[in-house]
Amino acid sequence: MWFDECDGFVELCRGSLPYYLLIVLPIFIIIAPANPVAASHEFPAFRMNQYDLHGVPHGCRSASISLEARSVSGWSTSRHCVVARALDLTPDSFQAIKKKAGSLIVVLPEDLSSLNDEQKEHIMALEVAMMTVPETTIPVYFSKWNPELEVILQDVGNSFITDDKAGSATEALFNSITASGYQVVVPSAQPAVKPDVKISTLHGKLTGSGSEDKLPTIAIVAHYDSHGATSELAFGAESNASGVSMLLELARLFSVVYSVGKSRPHHNLVFIVTGAGKLNYLGSKKWLEDQLDGLEGSVIQDASYVLCLDSVSASDKLYVHVSKPPKDFSAGGLLVKEIKTVANNLNHPPVEGIHKKINLADESLAWEHERYSIRRLPAATISSLRSHDDPIRKTILDVYSDDKIDKLYKHTTIVAEALARHMYNVSYSQIFSEPLSVSKDSLTMWMKYLTSQPRSASLINDKHSLVNTIKESMQKYLGEVKITNHIPDKREPEVVFYDTTKATINVYSVKPAVFDLILTIAILVYLGFIYLVVYNFSKFYNFATKISSGKSKSS
Amino acid sequence: MTLFHFGNCVALVYVPYHLTYKYSGLSEYGAFWKCVQAGGIYIFVQLIKMLALATFFPTADSEGAKLGFDFIGELLKSSMDIADLIGIYLVLNSIPGKGHAKVLTAGIGWASAEVVLTRFLLLWVGARGAEFDWKYIQKSLESNISLVQHITTATLVWLWSRHDLKQRFVPVVTSLLFITVYRPLIAEMLITSFMIGPWSALFIKAIHAAVLGSVTLHIYSALAHSIGIF
Repeated sequence: MWFDECDGFVELCRGSLPYYLLIVLPIFIIIAPANPVAASHEFPAFRMNQYDLHGVPHGCRSASISLEARSVSGWSTSRHCVVARALDLTPDSFQAIKKKAGSLIVVLPEDLSSLNDEQKEHIMALEVAMMTVPETTIPVYFSKWNPELEVILQDVGNSFITDDKAGSATEALFNSITASGYQVVVPSAQPAVKPDVKISTLHGKLTGSGSEDKLPTIAIVAHYDSHGATSELAFGAESNASGVSMLLELARLFSVVYSVGKSRPHHNLVFIVTGAGKLNYLGSKKWLEDQLDGLEGSVIQDASYVLCLDSVSASDKLYVHVSKPPKDFSAGGLLVKEIKTVANNLNHPPVEGIHKKINLADESLAWEHERYSIRRLPAATISSLRSHDDPIRKTILDVYSDDKIDKLYKHTTIVAEALARHMYNVSYSQIFSEPLSVSKDSLTMWMKYLTSQPRSASLINDKHSLVNTIKESMQKYLGEVKITNHIPDKREPEVVFYDTTKATINVYSVKPAVFDLILTIAILVYLGFIYLVVYNFSKFYNFATKISSGKSKSS
Repeated sequence: MTLFHFGNCVALVYVPYHLTYKYSGLSEYGAFWKCVQAGGIYIFVQLIKMLALATFFPTADSEGAKLGFDFIGELLKSSMDIADLIGIYLVLNSIPGKGHAKVLTAGIGWASAEVVLTRFLLLWVGARGAEFDWKYIQKSLESNISLVQHITTATLVWLWSRHDLKQRFVPVVTSLLFITVYRPLIAEMLITSFMIGPWSALFIKAIHAAVLGSVTLHIYSALAHSIGIF
């Protein structure tokens, strides 16, 4: 009996079923689009920073992924894409992934601002590990947290339990069959060199009363770009939106002072907003070369002091970083002394001077003033950070928060007051008081504006709205505002940027190949059952007839 | 790999239809073109239904979505499915002869037309993707259930049209026909009100089709026996 049925089944396959399908299906396959369905999960993601500085490659060198997703503990070969929370990654595990895994997707914490200090340090340490040379050859992406991603993270974490954790062999087998896997696909080309790189540096001037050329000049410098493990998320509130905000506020205050003939000091003030500060202060370097080596006279030629502002709202303390301690009665010495006195008068923690010699052997300079000191201009950097190594200066965690404003306000007041006292050569308190005083609103406005967009040097060129906005407001306060664009040398560029800073990650949920085979077997069994039912339907029918006829007889 | 999955789904949809066609003896009658004709009438009836729905219930969708379950509107919409019964009646009339073949041809033709029009594109677009989803297997199983349902419906319509049906069966057949018409509505109500998962919904549908089918079979066999079809 069984053989007969099998015969019938074979007959069926031999019948009309396969022949036309053999023709029709391939035709369909040929005319159908390659991938008819969109992924059920799509996330925007930001590729890790990639740039060459002085010919040394930094960051992540590739962009496209098409690999199976695994957890940070579950991956084993270069065919796996590690999907991990930023807090689950350590610098060590990153190094291992960098060497042997196929790619990495870092999921950032849900709320960056509510992290505790330990978590922040953890992520910053990870970022430092990521950005240190040598370059990363695998694609690394950052994605913001979202609930769908959380589900994927959990699934990836639960499945592929390594053998020691699985209960029994059958359980492990069952797991490997039913586990839902994820295929991560990022379709993008190899990152290409960005063609139109321009590093814009802006400067403007307030001219003192008297013969312009003979007056001493004080320069205020701040760089506007930011830096982080991924360029698209580098909002750089502390470094260096705070410095630029302070500079623009100083410009506003002093423009008022300079506009009244009587109160116009016998000093020139130059404000410089530099680009590519995070890349070895390239903007300052090129601007100085332009100014000092050019044929025309320079606005900074005989600067009596250059004051750089960098990360001025991180802590309550202020530090004055110098590469050579200023002589007591030089302009610099007096200015620094004035800053200390003002801080003292305003009941502020004492301002500490920190002396660090320029180390040209280092890959990049520590503070921006070193660029000026190298060109024999007396310079110092004012910062609320003790060390230039502080990871807060180069992190994606550096986002706007309201408590920065208070510190920024205090520090701006100190610097403005000290500058004014130095220029007027007076030593009594409160030159800037109502109605002419540091405005919290204006500082907040600038902080919010600057941190509303990623400001990585690679994202900003001379046409960027940020450069235009800074230029317009400088023109409002200052005279002779100019933008100097530096275009890297064609043959030996100091800096090279790459595109593909962001991409879309597609995540497909997939089943292992074994699963499809098992499914086929199940379907075959089911179809066999249907076959039996249909084949023996006459028996059911006869049975039904018997019952009904029996009933009709009895009734 | 994904094509393999598509193959799985298609096999699941197609093979039961083929088996029914082959082993119910229809192939011996050469009823293939009759089935196609039934499919043609199916398409025609669906077009008329769509026109009617679009004309008389144009905005029900957007309003109903907010109010949750708009019972009266849905009931009226489901009433349009009576057109299906009329369509099946037409099919039955257009098929000469009597006996099992007539009912089966109408049922299979109707069901195949539905499967080809509603399932194939879905499977082609969905099941071939890299993404795996149980929904395609579920849809395939559901089409098997609908085969049983459509044959049942065709039988019921045939029974209803017979004058020699015993009087005591008439209310039963009529009420079964009503249940068939409002089946999608009842199913949807159950699913939304009891939050039934897709697998249990499928299971309930299968049980429902089986029960309805066996009752119909019971009535049919009695009549067929009495008028001498074997």
